Amino acid sequence: MKKMWTIAVNTFRESMRKKTLYIILIFALIVIGASKLFSFLTAEEELKMIKDVSFSAIEFFGALIAIFASITAISTEIERRTIYTLLTKPIRRSDFVLGKFFGVSLIIFVNFILTTLFFIGLLLFKKSIPDIEVFKTLLLIFFELILIGGITLALGTFTTDAFNIICSFFLYIVGHLTSYGKEMIERTENIVVAGLADMLYTLVPNYENFNIRDKIVVGISVSWGYVGYTILYGILYTCIVLLIALYFFQKREI
Amino acid sequence: MAIIQTDKLTKHYVLGRKKFVVGLENVDLEINEGEIFGILGPNGSGKTTCLKLLLGILFPTSGEARIMGRLPDDIEMKQYVGFLPENPYYYDYLNGPELLLFYARLFSIRPDVAKKRIDELLELVELNNARRLTLRHYSKGMLERIGLAASLINDPKILILDEPTTGLDPIGCRDTRNLLIKLKQQGKTILLSSHFLSEVERVCERIAIFHRGHLLATGTLDALNKQYQAENLEDLFVKTIYAFDNQEAVKTGEPK
Repeated sequence: MKKMWTIAVNTFRESMRKKTLYIILIFALIVIGASKLFSFLTAEEELKMIKDVSFSAIEFFGALIAIFASITAISTEIERRTIYTLLTKPIRRSDFVLGKFFGVSLIIFVNFILTTLFFIGLLLFKKSIPDIEVFKTLLLIFFELILIGGITLALGTFTTDAFNIICSFFLYIVGHLTSYGKEMIERTENIVVAGLADMLYTLVPNYENFNIRDKIVVGISVSWGYVGYTILYGILYTCIVLLIALYFFQKREI
Repeated sequence: MAIIQTDKLTKHYVLGRKKFVVGLENVDLEINEGEIFGILGPNGSGKTTCLKLLLGILFPTSGEARIMGRLPDDIEMKQYVGFLPENPYYYDYLNGPELLLFYARLFSIRPDVAKKRIDELLELVELNNARRLTLRHYSKGMLERIGLAASLINDPKILILDEPTTGLDPIGCRDTRNLLIKLKQQGKTILLSSHFLSEVERVCERIAIFHRGHLLATGTLDALNKQYQAENLEDLFVKTIYAFDNQEAVKTGEPK
């Protein structure tokens, strides 16, 4: 566990040196800050706008950070050949992959905390105390980001960076369109197409499950049961993709 | 007693359907405890492949490699092994002590022991004056020296060095040579690969000559010189390689 943590901290430190992550973070803060510009709206509408824009910004820019941090986490070690100095030490390949995952999760967490604090600060500035529904939304966004990081890292154990980036963004988009996919499955009469689409629907990560912001913004409450179920879905999906990552990395020659 | 052993170790790099390149072919090696053993060969001869197979970075197509009687994926065995890769590259935002501490943690070395060991090693590789300098400002020779220190952080029983003198100036080469002799006197087993014949000639007790993935000859320099009627290592090197190439040319019917 200590060795895994050593690799995680090193991954975190190395990623913190990448300018791309800072640029994305700055953009996120600018977008969240810009939501305050809608001062021509009524106070209530303005708050809704701040929440809507901020949730979207935390999720979208968080996803960008998760993808970019995860893509390079393993490939950089291979490209620079620093991996030779790691895998020849008494660490399991699984320690290496999980260490990388926890390192990436740490980056996601720090970025998430910074953007969330900025958003809450903005709400407090507008004299609105964030309620529990806001925290439910943020909690689900965080687990979505962890899942995105896990999937990208897993893809990185057996694909190239270019393929990984295409695949991760494709999954990000498709994962948010699953509700439309479900509708199409229900409408189609072709059994083969419906079967294939249903399989795809089950396999593709359903990122839309984590999206409750549309409801929260308009004041609809979401049950803790739903939040708990979605978090469990996120954790299980992450565990499965990490197992896939371990399987491929165990067999990978460097 | 052999502390490192390979048994018909073979590695084929697959290029496509039924197409492959020989990385290593049926290599039987035995390296005894406490000796300095040199693997020699031209570029692409299979030296690094052999070391990577021993350390579990690559997987053999057939045959097996063992260190201290254990397979390369054995975590406990790696506790006793130090490795210096060819042209090492490290995390360049760390300074020397930070890098060594990072590797010490991977060996689960206690912080107080690690601190003492780091001081000793920096002194040994003469990088004590550059403690605060991050690795991105290191010269090639300094990187090679910090790499050597990193490979010694766990006070290994077995030291595996891939081209340890690449990038070093003559004084650096001499210092490394002296260090290897000193480490041997401490009872360590050293396996090094190199294409610098003079370095190998000066420090190694036994050598192995590789070419195109094949082990052509192995033994003490004197015995091999006698066997191949060679005057020195360079002569021996050329003779064994030419003999193999001629043999292959006859087999394939290609004119030499």
